[in-house]
Amino acid sequence: MSGVSGSAIFTDRPVEPARRSSLLSRMWKQRADYLYVLPAIVVMLIVIAYPVYYTIELSFFKTPASLQLRDKVFVGLDNYTTILTSASFWKVTWQTLIWTFFSTLFAFFLGLGAALSLHREFIGRGVLRAILLIPWVVSTVAASYVWKWLYHSDFGAIGAFMVQIGVTDQPINFVDNTSTALASLIVVNVWKEFSFAMIMLMAGLQTVPEQLLRAAKVDGANAWQRFWHVTFPHLAGVSTVTVLLLTVQNFNSFIIPFIMTGGGPAGSSDIWITQIYQLAFGRQRWGAAAAYSVLLFIIMMTLGYFYVRALTRGDDKRAGA
Amino acid sequence: MTNMQDRVRRSGSPYRRQVVAYALAGLTTASLMSTTVYAQSVDLSQWSPEYIKSIAGTATYDTAKDCGAVVPNDYAGKVSYWYTGPFEADPQIAHDQDKAFWEAFKAAYPNIQADVQSITYNELLDKFRTALLGNAAPMVVRLQILGGVEFAAKGYLNPLKPEDVGYTSADFWPGALKSVTWDGETYGIPTNNETMGFIWNAKIFADAGLDPESPPATWDDVVTYSKTIHDKLGIAGYGLVAKQNAGNTPFRFMPQLWAYGGGALDETSAEPAYETVELNNDGSKAALQAAYDMYVRDQSVPTSALTNTQAENQAPFIAGQLAMMIAHPAEYAKMLDLASKATGADKATADAVVENMRYGLLPEGPARRAVVFGGSNIHVVKPEYVDGGAIDEQAVKALICMWTSPEWSTKLAWVGSNPGHLGGFKTEWMKERLDTIKFLDVTTSMLPNGIPFPVQPYAPEIMNIIVPDMLQNALTGTMTVDEAANDAAAKVEELMSGM
Repeated sequence: MSGVSGSAIFTDRPVEPARRSSLLSRMWKQRADYLYVLPAIVVMLIVIAYPVYYTIELSFFKTPASLQLRDKVFVGLDNYTTILTSASFWKVTWQTLIWTFFSTLFAFFLGLGAALSLHREFIGRGVLRAILLIPWVVSTVAASYVWKWLYHSDFGAIGAFMVQIGVTDQPINFVDNTSTALASLIVVNVWKEFSFAMIMLMAGLQTVPEQLLRAAKVDGANAWQRFWHVTFPHLAGVSTVTVLLLTVQNFNSFIIPFIMTGGGPAGSSDIWITQIYQLAFGRQRWGAAAAYSVLLFIIMMTLGYFYVRALTRGDDKRAGA
Repeated sequence: MTNMQDRVRRSGSPYRRQVVAYALAGLTTASLMSTTVYAQSVDLSQWSPEYIKSIAGTATYDTAKDCGAVVPNDYAGKVSYWYTGPFEADPQIAHDQDKAFWEAFKAAYPNIQADVQSITYNELLDKFRTALLGNAAPMVVRLQILGGVEFAAKGYLNPLKPEDVGYTSADFWPGALKSVTWDGETYGIPTNNETMGFIWNAKIFADAGLDPESPPATWDDVVTYSKTIHDKLGIAGYGLVAKQNAGNTPFRFMPQLWAYGGGALDETSAEPAYETVELNNDGSKAALQAAYDMYVRDQSVPTSALTNTQAENQAPFIAGQLAMMIAHPAEYAKMLDLASKATGADKATADAVVENMRYGLLPEGPARRAVVFGGSNIHVVKPEYVDGGAIDEQAVKALICMWTSPEWSTKLAWVGSNPGHLGGFKTEWMKERLDTIKFLDVTTSMLPNGIPFPVQPYAPEIMNIIVPDMLQNALTGTMTVDEAANDAAAKVEELMSGM
């Protein structure tokens, strides 16, 4: 803002209207800059904007199995109404929220614990850091298959170990049980993601001023007080970004549930993305799948907005200064 | 089929070209109007392991010459083709036969250029669908038996019947032809057809006090045998498969459902109309109850059945931890392969399992003995959806004639299937297969019991989604057996309403 109203209060001179040039004229003035980014914009329009537009358009149509896609039937908001009023949608949404919330929560706090542990100097720190990074660098597909066999309800290594040490009489039914399937998948997801949180938070820990910690120690602050009053406030920014990125990633998760359970048994580990995949490629309900995708897109854009805000908050302050 | 483009470009006067064109057209018409290249002499009413063995090796064919009567061997043109060929995991003989076919095709039609893509089983349908949307499909495609009707119903395929390439419809299994018929029109030719058999481990049977040489006669017996084996030996009895969105599930559950008198629609009737939903009739519920009894009441099947495909049953079977399952004729070769890779004590166990493997007919139910009629069909795509916007009809016919011939439909189905052309059962190569592939005669003798999946564009959704969902809902206790059957029937009704 130009501060026009402030001027009116402190001066007798007549207020001049703000001389703001139009968007087009400003773009024209900066046409050279736009020319530089034009190729990138064109590519983005083709590979991002058009698919988004087409998905939104498709969400207003039904695609019966006996018709070609070009013969789709316009149904207005029918797909949205059908989805939002179906019991399965709310069940899957609830499961998606559970999946996203607990995956993000545990991955973040495990990552925070690992980052704090590795922030201190000790022998073998480099080796341990490398080991803890393994889950993040392993292919998700490969990891899912390995975990699938580890969890196997008849011959899984975890179940066999539990029986061997006498915890249970029979192998635990992790993924063939509607009560435990989603929780079992969350464990795998947390294992896969916590390294990412660890890396982000380790980078954040580098920004905590050492002299502040020493001063707090001299002042008699114990370890918890030093963490809570000195370290944690410095991690707030990176923590926000990490949590947002994990949330987006978990909302969009597909590989682990798809490979390990396919959303089963009886839909107990279905989340939005597996449901969309099933609708589109299993049942060829392209319109309904598109409507689902649009709803997910809205959520993702909302999260994206907060992510960008979190990233650019410092920029705004600097710009204001 | 309609010849949209003649790709032959040769020098010479227009008059000469015209004469050649008329001669080719005349030859083609004559071949299509004449009686079949091969007269059918396979008596389906006598079908049994003994009959199959008795006819094998009784006929010889000269495929190049016979197909030359349909499309002249000097024809010049181009054909593009997608199919699922042999991949790394397939035995060497499958690779050898595939290579031999393309060499034979080149020798028979040296002037036809074949543009061929081999695409994995799980990818072919999606890739083909995508290519059709972009008008970039091949001229010819070979699809799994369940796949073709979807594309015929959507108008992507050209009509194609055996008579178009010199055969008669009587040369193919009626059930196979039914699977390519949509709205009274035939849209493909069967390339291979197979039915599964029932495998059991004779030693496990003996250890459990069962007759080691006799499979369970009925599906009720399967439930009883499975419980007996589990109770006495602590291992899984029957290899139930109930994973969602996996083709293995309907291939193993539908035979049981049909045997009890159930059905998805009325596919078990002689003249199915596919208009009535039978997933919640008494037979279907009885089959679902039998599965429930094994999984929940007796816990005599693998707990992992809900996430298992058939591939996951192979390891426990070869380890002697699973007694019975429904499987392809190729399962024996797979078990041999697994045994050859085992080491130490595992090797001894695996060898013993192979030694004790037995194949039999699938059990009967109160209504019938049934098995899924499986296989693949070859189709021709309409020109407007083909890459380049045209098809070379003569080149297409030449390829299809060769591929569906008695010789090559036998050789190309060497390990896991049977010839689509019934004449293939009379060839020397069928005799060689019977001599070298153990239990092939048993699984082949199930063919007359084969029931094709409903020939409807929404059949894949019924079989791959709704039926497995019904099983999972019942087996997890999410719904009662009645509720699960009624829920599945309601979903099919909704599907059939078109929206």
